[in-house]
Amino acid sequence: MSKAMRMMTVLMLCGALLLSACSKGNEGGGNAENKGNAGNAGSPQAEEKIEEITVAFPMITASQQELQLVEDEINKISEEKIKTHVKFLPISAGEWAQRMNLIFSGGETLDLTYVAGGMYSGMVAKGQLVALDDLLNQHGEGIKSAFEEKYLSSTKIKGQIYSVPTVRDLAASFGITMRKDLVDKHGIDVASIKTLDDVEKVLKTIKDNEPNIVPLVPGGAGQTYRENHVFYDPLGDNMGVLPNYDNGLKVVNLYEMPEYKAFLDRVRQWYLDGYTLADAATNKTQTFELIKSGKAFAYLAMQKPGFAAQESKASSTEMVTAELIAPVATTSTVTGAMWGIPVHSKQQEKAMKFLNLLYSDPAIVNLFDWGIEGKHYVKAEGAADHVIAYPEGKDASTVGYNMLGWMFGNQFLSYVLNTDDPEIWAKTEEFNRVSKPSKALGFVFDASPVKTEVASVTNVVTQYRLPLETGSVDPEKMLPEFIEKLKAAGMDKIIAEKQKQLDEWAKANSVQ
Amino acid sequence: MEIKTTRRKRIHLRRFLPLYLMMIPGLLYLLINNYLPMFGLSIAFKNVNYAQGIWGSDWVGISNFEYLFRTTDAYIITRNTLLYNAVFIVLGLTIAIAIAILLNEIRSKMARGFYQSVILLPYLISMILVSYLVYALLSPQSGFMNKTILPMFGLDPISWYLESKYWPYILTIVHIWKGAGYSCIVFLAAIIGIDREYYEAAELDGATKWMQIRKITLPMITPIITMLALLGIGRIFYSDFGLFYQVPMNSGALYETTNVIDTYVFRGLLQIGDIGMSAAAGFYQSLVGFVLVLVSNYIVRRFDKDNALF
Amino acid sequence: MTRQYIGWRTASHVIMALLSLACLLPFVLLFTSSVTDADTIVKEGYTFVPSKLSFAAYDYLFANSKTVIHAYGITILTTVIGTTASLLMTSMLAYPLSRKDLPGGMVIAFIVFFTLLFNGGLVPTYMIYTQMFDIQNTFLAQVIPWLLMNGFNVLLMRAFFMNSIPVPVLESASIDGAGEFTIYYKIVLQLSLPILATIGLFQALAYWNDWNNGLVFITEARLFNLQNVLNKIMSDIEFLTSSASMGAGSVAAQLPSETFRMAIAVVGIVPILIAYPFFQKYFVKGLTIGAVKG
Repeated sequence: MSKAMRMMTVLMLCGALLLSACSKGNEGGGNAENKGNAGNAGSPQAEEKIEEITVAFPMITASQQELQLVEDEINKISEEKIKTHVKFLPISAGEWAQRMNLIFSGGETLDLTYVAGGMYSGMVAKGQLVALDDLLNQHGEGIKSAFEEKYLSSTKIKGQIYSVPTVRDLAASFGITMRKDLVDKHGIDVASIKTLDDVEKVLKTIKDNEPNIVPLVPGGAGQTYRENHVFYDPLGDNMGVLPNYDNGLKVVNLYEMPEYKAFLDRVRQWYLDGYTLADAATNKTQTFELIKSGKAFAYLAMQKPGFAAQESKASSTEMVTAELIAPVATTSTVTGAMWGIPVHSKQQEKAMKFLNLLYSDPAIVNLFDWGIEGKHYVKAEGAADHVIAYPEGKDASTVGYNMLGWMFGNQFLSYVLNTDDPEIWAKTEEFNRVSKPSKALGFVFDASPVKTEVASVTNVVTQYRLPLETGSVDPEKMLPEFIEKLKAAGMDKIIAEKQKQLDEWAKANSVQ
Repeated sequence: MEIKTTRRKRIHLRRFLPLYLMMIPGLLYLLINNYLPMFGLSIAFKNVNYAQGIWGSDWVGISNFEYLFRTTDAYIITRNTLLYNAVFIVLGLTIAIAIAILLNEIRSKMARGFYQSVILLPYLISMILVSYLVYALLSPQSGFMNKTILPMFGLDPISWYLESKYWPYILTIVHIWKGAGYSCIVFLAAIIGIDREYYEAAELDGATKWMQIRKITLPMITPIITMLALLGIGRIFYSDFGLFYQVPMNSGALYETTNVIDTYVFRGLLQIGDIGMSAAAGFYQSLVGFVLVLVSNYIVRRFDKDNALF
Repeated sequence: MTRQYIGWRTASHVIMALLSLACLLPFVLLFTSSVTDADTIVKEGYTFVPSKLSFAAYDYLFANSKTVIHAYGITILTTVIGTTASLLMTSMLAYPLSRKDLPGGMVIAFIVFFTLLFNGGLVPTYMIYTQMFDIQNTFLAQVIPWLLMNGFNVLLMRAFFMNSIPVPVLESASIDGAGEFTIYYKIVLQLSLPILATIGLFQALAYWNDWNNGLVFITEARLFNLQNVLNKIMSDIEFLTSSASMGAGSVAAQLPSETFRMAIAVVGIVPILIAYPFFQKYFVKGLTIGAVKG
């Protein structure tokens, strides 16, 4: 035994040497490269050299060959305008988190990356992103002018911007989405649906008249009804929230709010009355499929301008929407999709210049969003200049290039498909403008001081959230148990930490 | 005297040199693939900051481990992990051995080949799909159990995914169903390797089949059984994530009997994604397994030196 | 043949037939669901006799047949190369360890065993392979990391060698002047076909089913194996299902999600089922030859 241990120690030591040797080798390489750059910069007459940057973003099922064509087109523009060659690093959306972990740990080349909202504060706390303020002032004019001040500054952490949100719907409203054929059939007045009481009446109508249809299903597999009916500012992670988007900046426990209890009681009653999907807590079927197959009538969801058209397309069924909660801008809605520059990037200026193009150059934005004109889309005939259509005989599934438009910079520069509302961007801009800002808009919670508690609380929440918020279990019995376990897991400590950070933030930004 | 021993050693070395040479590729691979990355274990004691780099990050002692122990869940997940694994080791081995013995009794090559491929089938299906198949069986509305089987006995439908008491049985059955075909291959190879002469002699002495199994087959494969049991003990704090996460459909109401260390860690780190904390969990699982294996190996050694692993 | 033996044999057949049924039926269900209309599954659940058939899932795969076939090629290549290399390395490490007279054998056995308990985890392993060996986006990345050899197989093989190769045989060969390599090649390997066949099967299955290496080390589509291609589609579906509100709807609508998982599994398993009987022939032959000689 002891012999074995000795052997092991020796092996480990060998390993340590090798490892340090290899990391040194890497540093050496990096330095040499830097020196080369410095040499170039030293000769002022030399023309600006074309540098390469790597850009990572999540991708869903677009074929790689088509993407390469788009990449080439984008490079034609960027090499000419900003002397930058762009290398795409598309990552399958489902693998995003893991691959990011590897890229950052391995210190791989990456100069510009998409930042998913939920990961933002964690990435900053772990030192993965650089502060962008100076770069924005130097090379980010197009980015700054694309935003209202309240939105761009709401991504600040300790006074500095680490990521820039994309320009899209920056607030969120919540409401119900229903099948139009059944709405018409039963004479439901959509405009009159304003509260959950109204929703209840509609569900009852459907239940009474359409025995084979489930009146209400969750907005997505694994989601609850509460997640799509957010009546407070979640302050990032729902652990400690701000009721009424204000509450004098006093953080409270969501699960102890009387409104939460009332919501659970209502959903439970719906469940018992058969208004909702019986196996919502374990359902793994897409909402669109539930609608398309004719099994379901409606769902609660987060909405935005053009939402009904988007959902109709997705489920191949005409849908209508009613708003239950008016649009509110919170930090979460603004930071939902962003772009940042990784800390180990050696081409930070070039990356910022390219990011600036994403917010100011319609050609680049549309290459990202729609692909190549004539190949992936054509200008629609007899319509406004920014309206496009799929080429003859093609549709979304056969055209070979599909991207999520809200992901690439300034969506307002994007063309609009002829099946959508041509005025959609004007309406979205209006939506952003009129939306009520939460009092805590701009506060980003850093969970790292309480990560032990967050891990425990997350476990408790996943245990109770789905059964309770889908009405599958009795809240009278389970809610007290839930709250007690949350306390045992350290919920109060998280809330105290959040309150402390929020107070500091309010003081620094003179928010009363 | 001293000169003599060194000389003997040298002869010794020359004799064994080819054997050592033979081992080089394998050991080199273990060094690269397994030992070098073990530095990663140090991440468990660090607060990883990428601006400082992983190796330059601050040491934080054992604070990354805290979340594993601080709540009442700690007891539940430890209990579940241990009990499930204990049952899996005992039942899994017994059933795999039984199947191997039965397969060995079958003389028709065709039939044996058929059975063997078919019982291997579940092993080839991913856990996600297994979870769908189980769902087809247990779905509250359209499942076979509630729709066909329970009514046959005049029983009321059961909300399988909300009642935690059934799940220890369900998970054990699924685990064995999926893995038995695979693990019986090892035993089959061992049993076929037994010299036929032993059986022929036993038959001449009029030993029954049952006695042959007890007196010949089982003793002959004991080293393999011991080894697999020891390896199972070494991984007693680990569990098949897919089995405990996908198959119960991550249903919160079942956590009492389905939450194990791996699922707890996964759920806990979903939001914060801290590699220090996940490394801490792995370290803890390995350490417990390591201690248990040393103890059980020591016990085995006391009884029978040849069967010990090292 | 006594009555008792016939009894045993019949009992074996009955039990095995029942077990086979338990394993076969779910697979049949898997197959029928893969050809069921997606909407029908949502409405009626999984059934053995679907009321409406649809080959949409296979159509989608067929539309990508070029990618799928290429991926099959990669999978077969990695499986063949990997399994062969793995058997060589494993047996060359296991044989010396099985020799009770080898000085330091126990220590090395412990070193092998230790790797089964402790591992550095994904990130450090990734760093070693990418920074020291630049393995990312090469064919070797599908073969070497994690899969090439594992301690479990080494120890298993060692136990078999110890059990089934009589020491006198080795000693007499050694006296006849055979070198260790000759003994290993001519005697040890020939005598241990059962375990070689067993570990070979384990390794082949591991390579066939592996998606992790491709996920971690490969970003270029030309090196994806079958599981990578299928998993990519799956994880996209999974992602879309759980984040329906992200406006990914138009992309989501193209994918036949429910039936797709099943079709993917069928596409991954069927080749194994076709290849298995052939393999089985050699496998059983290996087993029995080993037994006769032993």
